[in-house]
Parts: sequence; C-alpha cells; structure tokens
Amino acid sequence: MLEILKTSLLLYLPEVVCVVLMCLLLIAESMHKEEGTDRKSVFVLATAGLVLAAAFLVHNLGIPGAPAFYQAVVIDSFGTFMKLIMVGGTIGTIWLARSSNDIYPNLKSEFAIMAVGTLIGGMLLASANNMLTLYLGIETLSILSYVMSSLKREDSTSTEAGMKYALYGGLTAGVMLFGMSHIYGMLGSIQFVELVPKVAALQGADQVYLMASFLLFFAGLGYKISAFPFHMWSPDVYQGSPIPVTAFFAIVPKMAGLAVLIRVSHLFFGGDSGLAIAWVGLLHVVAALTMTVGNVSAIGQDSVKRLLAFSSIGHVGMMIMGIVVLNEVGARAILFYGVAYMFMTLVAFWITSVLNDAYGTDSQAVFRGLIHRHPVMAIAMCVVLFSLAGMPPFSGFVAKFNILSVAIEKGYMSLAFIAAINSVIALYYYMKLVKEMVFGKAESQEKVAGFTEGTTALIVVLTIPVFLLGIFWEGLMNLSGSAKLFLQ
Amino acid sequence: MNGLLNWILWSPVFGMAAVLLIPKGNDNIIRWTSLVSTAITFILTLVLYANFDESIGGMQPDFLVKVPWIEQFHIFYSLGIDGISLPMTLLNGLLFFLCIMSSWTVEKNLKGYFALLLMLQSTVFGVFFSLDFFLFYVYWEVMLLPMFFLIGIWGGENREYAAVKFFLYTFFGSIVMLVGIIALYYATGKGVDSFNILAMHGGKFSDLTVHIFGNEFNFERLFFWAMFLGFAIKVPVFPFHTWLPHAHVQAPTAVSVILAGVLLKMGTYGFLRIAFPIFPAASVEYSTIIGALGLISVIYGAFCAMAQDDVKKLVAYSSVSHMGFVMMGLAAMTVQGMNGAVLQMFNHGTSTAMMFLLIGILYERSHHRWIVKPDGSKGFGGLYTQLPRYTIVFIIGMFASLGLPGLSGFISEALIFLGIYQKFTTMTVLAIIGLLIGAAYLLWMFKRMFFGDVNPEVKDYEDMNTREILYMLPLCIAVIVFGIFPSPILNIMKASVGQLVDLLSKY
Repeated sequence: MLEILKTSLLLYLPEVVCVVLMCLLLIAESMHKEEGTDRKSVFVLATAGLVLAAAFLVHNLGIPGAPAFYQAVVIDSFGTFMKLIMVGGTIGTIWLARSSNDIYPNLKSEFAIMAVGTLIGGMLLASANNMLTLYLGIETLSILSYVMSSLKREDSTSTEAGMKYALYGGLTAGVMLFGMSHIYGMLGSIQFVELVPKVAALQGADQVYLMASFLLFFAGLGYKISAFPFHMWSPDVYQGSPIPVTAFFAIVPKMAGLAVLIRVSHLFFGGDSGLAIAWVGLLHVVAALTMTVGNVSAIGQDSVKRLLAFSSIGHVGMMIMGIVVLNEVGARAILFYGVAYMFMTLVAFWITSVLNDAYGTDSQAVFRGLIHRHPVMAIAMCVVLFSLAGMPPFSGFVAKFNILSVAIEKGYMSLAFIAAINSVIALYYYMKLVKEMVFGKAESQEKVAGFTEGTTALIVVLTIPVFLLGIFWEGLMNLSGSAKLFLQ
Repeated sequence: MNGLLNWILWSPVFGMAAVLLIPKGNDNIIRWTSLVSTAITFILTLVLYANFDESIGGMQPDFLVKVPWIEQFHIFYSLGIDGISLPMTLLNGLLFFLCIMSSWTVEKNLKGYFALLLMLQSTVFGVFFSLDFFLFYVYWEVMLLPMFFLIGIWGGENREYAAVKFFLYTFFGSIVMLVGIIALYYATGKGVDSFNILAMHGGKFSDLTVHIFGNEFNFERLFFWAMFLGFAIKVPVFPFHTWLPHAHVQAPTAVSVILAGVLLKMGTYGFLRIAFPIFPAASVEYSTIIGALGLISVIYGAFCAMAQDDVKKLVAYSSVSHMGFVMMGLAAMTVQGMNGAVLQMFNHGTSTAMMFLLIGILYERSHHRWIVKPDGSKGFGGLYTQLPRYTIVFIIGMFASLGLPGLSGFISEALIFLGIYQKFTTMTVLAIIGLLIGAAYLLWMFKRMFFGDVNPEVKDYEDMNTREILYMLPLCIAVIVFGIFPSPILNIMKASVGQLVDLLSKY
C-alpha cells in the first residue's frame, strides 16, 4: 500500500506542489498584518510554486498514462497538457490581479490563494478517473469560484455575480450528481474503466435511460464551460466580477471543463452505438448553438469585459467542435486552440484592465484613439483581436483552421459552415473595437498611467506567441498531437 | 534566377522595415525610401519579365521555390510564376511605384501610410505567386489588414463604414473559401500534394459527394460555388459588388488605384488559377451563369456609373462594368475569350489606374469631386481651357477606358467579344450595348467637366506639375503602346492560357 502511495504521489507531484503552495501562501499572506501593503512576496511565492508545478507537469508530459491513488485519478499526457494551459492562465491572471485596481488592494493576495485553490480543482477535474473524483473536482473548482466572483464586496453587481454563480452552480451540480447516481444505479460502478465496457454493452431501451442520465450529467459540465443552454450565468458573472477574475474564469474553469468533457466523450462514446450517435448529435447542437449565441450576443455589447465574455462563449462553441469528432486530431486541435486562446485572452483582458483602471469604465469608448497615445498597446490589442477573429497570420487563425479541418475531415460540413459564418460575426464585433482604437479620435492626448514600461513589455511578451504560433505552429502541433488520453 | 520570386516578394517587406525604422519627422527620407523600395521591386519584376520563357505553358521551372513550412500537414512555402500571373506581377510592380510617387502629398501619419502600402504590395505578390493553397489563403487574408487600415485611417469622410464593409464582405467570401480549401485537403487524401494547387488541377473531384443538413451534394459543384463566392466578391461580380463603390470613394487616391488596378484582379486570377482548373466540369456547367452575371455587371455597372454625380464613384462603377467584361471572357472559355480576359485584366489595371490618379490630382486642387454638386450647380466646367496638359492625359485615360481603337482597352474588349460570340451570341450583342453605355457615361462626364463655360472656381487651379506628369507618363505609354502592339503581353500569357483552355475544352 505504501508503494502505491509513493508512486501515486510521485505522479501527482504537480498537484501536491499546488496544495503545499496554497498552504504556504495562506501563511505568507497572514504574515502581512498591516492593510494596503504590497504583499509582493505572496505573488513571488505563488509564481515560484506554479512554475515548479509547471516544471513537474512538463516532466509528466512524457508519461503516456498511469493511474494513481487506486485509480481515483489518471495521469496522462492529455490531462497534463490541459493542466499546463491552466497553470499558465493562473500565473498570468495572478499578476494581472496584482496590477489591477479592480480588486481591493488587501484582497489581491487572497485572490492569488483562491486562484491556486481553484486551479487544484481544475487539475483534479482534468485527471478524473471516476465519477466521484470528477464531482469533487467540479465542486473544488466551483466553491472558490463563487467567492472569487464576489471579491468586490461593496459592489452590488459583484455580489450579484457571486450569488448567481453559486445558485446556478449549486443547481447544476445537484442535477449532475443526480445523473451520476443514476448512472451508478444502472451500471453499478463509478470507475470509468469499469463503466466503459458496460456502457458499450448496453442494448435497446437501456441506452435511452442511460442517455437521460448522461444528459443530466452534461448539465454540470455544460455549466462549467458555459455551453448553451447553460451559459446564462456567464455574462452577468463575467461582468460583475473584477477583471482579473473574469480573465481567470475565461481560461481555467473552461479548460478544466473541456478536458473532462473530452475525456468522458472519448471514453464512453467513442464507438458507433446508438448512445454514441445521440451524444454526438447532442454535442453537434450544443457546439452550433453555443458559438452562435455567444457571437450574436457579443455584437451589441459596449462593455468590453462583457464582449470578451460573450466571445469566450463563442470560442468554447468552436472548441466543442473538436470534441464532436471524437478522435485524437480533434483533441489535438482543442489543445492548440487552448494555448492560443490563453495568450489572446490574457492580453485582451490585461489591456482592458489597465484602461478600466484609468477611466473607471470598460466601455468601448475608453479604447478610442489608443493608437495615438499608446501605439504599441493598440497594435498588441489589434493583433489579439484579429487573432481571436481568426485572421492569419496569427495563432487564432491556425486554431480555427485546425478545428474546421477536423470537422470537415469527419464530414460535418454543416457545422463547418456554421462555424465559418460565426467567425464573420466575430470579426464584426472585434473590428468595432479595432475601429475605436485606430480610427477614433481620443478626447485627450494624455497617457494612461497604467501602461508603465514594465506592463507594456509584459503585454508585448504575451503578444509575441500570438503572432509566432500563427507562423511556426508545427512544434506546438506535434506536442499537442502527442498528448493522449489514457484509461486504466 | 532561383530566388528571384523570393526577392520580389520580400523586397517590399524590407522596404517596410526600413520605413518603420526611420524616426518620425523625417518625412522626405520616408518618402524616398519607399520610392526606392518600390523602384527596386519594379526593376526586379522587369528582370523576371526579361527572363521569362514564353514557350512554357505551366509554371516556369527556373523560378520555382518550394520549402517545407508545416511538414505534418504538407504545407509548403511554394512560389511559382506563369503567363497568367506574370502580367499581374508587372502591374503590381508598376502601380505601387507610381502610387508612392502620387502619395508624395500625403501628410497625415506618413510613416504608417507608406509602411502599410509596402506591406500591401508584398501580400499582393504573395497571392499571385503562391502555389500552395494554405499560403495562398494566408496572403489572401493578410492583404485585408493593410487595406482596412489604409481606407479607415487615410480615407474620406465615411471611411470607417467603407473599411468595415470592405473587410467583412471579403472576409465572408474567403472564409467560405477556406472551408473549400480544407475540404479539398481531405479529398486529396492528406497526401504530400494536398495543399498543392497545381496538383489539384484537372477535375479530380467530380465523383465525390458531401452531406449538409442531410442533403447530398456533389463535391465539385458545391465547392465550385464556395470558391466562386470568395472570388466573385473580390472581382466584384453583381450582386456582390456593393462594397466596391464605398471602398473606392472613401479610399485615398493611391489605395483606390491599387484596389482597382490590382486587387480586383485577384478575384479573376482566382478563377483562372483555382476555380476553373480545379473544378473544370462545374465551371463549364455553370459558365452560362458566370457569363450572365458578367453581363449584368457590365450593363448594371454602366448604368450605375451614368447616374453618379461623384466622378470617383463613376469610375468605381465603371470598374464593375469593365470587370464584367473580364468575367464574360472567362465564361467563354475559348482561346480568344480567355486571352482577352487576361489582357483586359492588365489593361484595365493601367487605364483605371490612370483615371483614379487623375481624379486624385484634380481632387488635390478642388477638394471635391462633384460633377454636379448636391445643390445642383456645376462642380467643374471648362477645365479644358484651364488645364490643357491635364486634359490631354485625361483624354488618353478616358478613351483607353472606353475602348477606343488604338488604345489598350479596345484590343482586350475586341478579343473578349470574339471569344464569347462563339458561345453566347445574345450575350455578346447585349454586352456591346454595355460598351455603348460605357462610352456614353464617360463622354458625358467629360463634357460636363471639361467643356462648357469656365467655372470661376476652376480658374486658379494649377496644371499638372512635373511629379504628376512623371507618374502619369508610364501609364500613358503603356496604354498607347499596348493598344497598338499588344503582343508583348499576349505572348507571355498565350501558352498558359492555352493550357487552361485545353483543359476546359475536355468538359
């Protein structure tokens, strides 16, 4: 037994590092007694810990797959890759939080702790190997998210966001748990490895019953990735939350949810049974509606935060296309998309955050004439927005190209055409912001204080991959192609 | 000679980098750097012309470039040139050089303007050189970015709307095309030639089927229309032309010249290089529709031009009309028709560039472009007596544009009519009516602007200065020389066009 624990812990080192890190951060944070101090040490410690976790994750990428803790979790290269994206997003948003004024100064370090905690939930989710771990992961991820979204305690929209998130989350988690218990009742196991053959062996009416329970199960996942029709919470939550939290929500929980959705879809519905066809049909509809609803709703938004929130729903819809095809190239396309999306999201939110701090609002008007005041920042934002819209030569295009091509390879032409139309819609609303920045005339020529040399340099550094991955994308493609799911 | 295409493709990028490195405020250095850059590029295209082997119908083997880009997907950085792309390359080299000269008076944010213009030149070369579908698409799309900013920042009053409309419209067309490109990639079996445009030529996809919303479609027909949409928006063919008048009217002079002179040709070039040879059966099957849309563009564009009070808008609509002739020539799929179409692509590039440059020259003096002002008074009048040099150049440009024998437009239109008469007799007759209307609106415009009583506003306009004469001169020469002696251009395209016609004649 000790042997198993030892090998498990070794495999699980990244998560262990994160757990230890969270405890250390709690101690480090409480050492800062006086209000309003910088608490830089907390951020440095958090970054160091996360980088260490990332290093272990990179090491784990080489492991094709191994179960740990009596098959409660599975460490495979696919999950590890997803975790790397999540860790990257967490590091980015922690530093965004430090520079942002949208979070109360004395809560910034708390944000770092909660982000790490949420990350642990996400990592657990990405490597869940049975229903219970999956549920635990979702709950760990959610509970801290509720707190994070209401970090602006004195702001009514923020508390509303937290309330909405918690209510909606509680409800869908309950529905999901109900679905899981039904699955357990029907098949007598919670272990994926035991469930998979049983699901495949189901015949006739049993398939219909099981589909019903998987539908309930899907509610929980759909809510986490804000897929239609479980996306209703996300615009309000995204808008109410402080900007760094929104950026965090746009990356970490989504990636975790997608990871588990891919795992479940591939494991249970990889065959060509009636059940699999129904699931693929469901995902088809969900993908098409998610991206359409997200993009169409983004058109009229004046608040950039809200615009990015809706657009992230659109991007999730695109990524679900990579799940619909249920094959490894689909998973690879999602991983690539995830990396590109992480960089783009960080840059977009960072620039929005700085402008929001300077003007107290994130309406599109604050972007007006940015090119005359901060040309580098405006160009970075343009690059990111065009990349999000899927324009070459940026990484967003390659991501879109891959997703479209996996769908077309499978012959899902209708979905491909819907995605194509969606990217035109997306271009329209991203372009409106570009228009403000480049064609608009700023009322004042005053510089924005938030764009210090350090911040500018950081944003540029984050923008470079958005550009480079659009041209030299073979390396990342091979890497994400080597990330495989594992079941045992 | 191996790397010549690389040099042509990348020399504008070097020029752009140089312009960006020059500190702000050194306006003249920026202008001269851009001019030198485009001059070098133009000379390189002439070198290319000098070394071109007219007897080869396919890609010139001496100039092929093929470097792996994304090996896993068999995407190559693959460039080549043949008789169809060479005239466009020459045009692109020449027009950008002249446009830089005509942009000497641009004051607003000079550095960005010239940098974007040079970037645009490189991407246009990229479209004409690419033999890899992925590369082609990247250039096709990236081209939109400099255009968007050039129209949106340096354009007229309503520039933002025009820029957005242009961008969205073209993006819509190209994203549908992207779906087609990916579908072709899988239809060819993901092999080493799956993005190779040339390897897909020859109608290999006529037996495949696709399913959309449960309906079965023929692969070739469906994706012919996907490609058609992408290219037809660019040409633009009626009914996809609505972005063009806005973009033209709002764009600064040089950008209008490039838009009409080169960018529109990218659409017809797409038909010649991609849609027709890859989907020959569908192309032949739908040639009547293509021809009919071309005819509608000819007549509708001409009538729209006649109704315009803004002279730039008039010329913009005349572009719709003239590109309609190209489409008709393409739809004919005969030797004369195709040759005429490619020649018309070149000739329209020179003549319409003249018109837009001349309008730009006039606009710098008058700051309006009204033939008849909105309040009903005359915008110009009697320019003939005031600006004699300008008038002479204008007459050359206008007559070349309306196809007067002896000037370039005549030859290409005559060839097109010879070509379509064999296939679509009625359409030919109707298209000749379009030619008549073309003569009518241009002459009417000329009468209202240049003849009649001298408008007092016109009296203090200066005639063309040396710089303006310098950049109009090459175009005048081209229009006259190729009107009398078109064989230098016809000879280089003959073999390549012949190959395409041979392919299509099998269906």
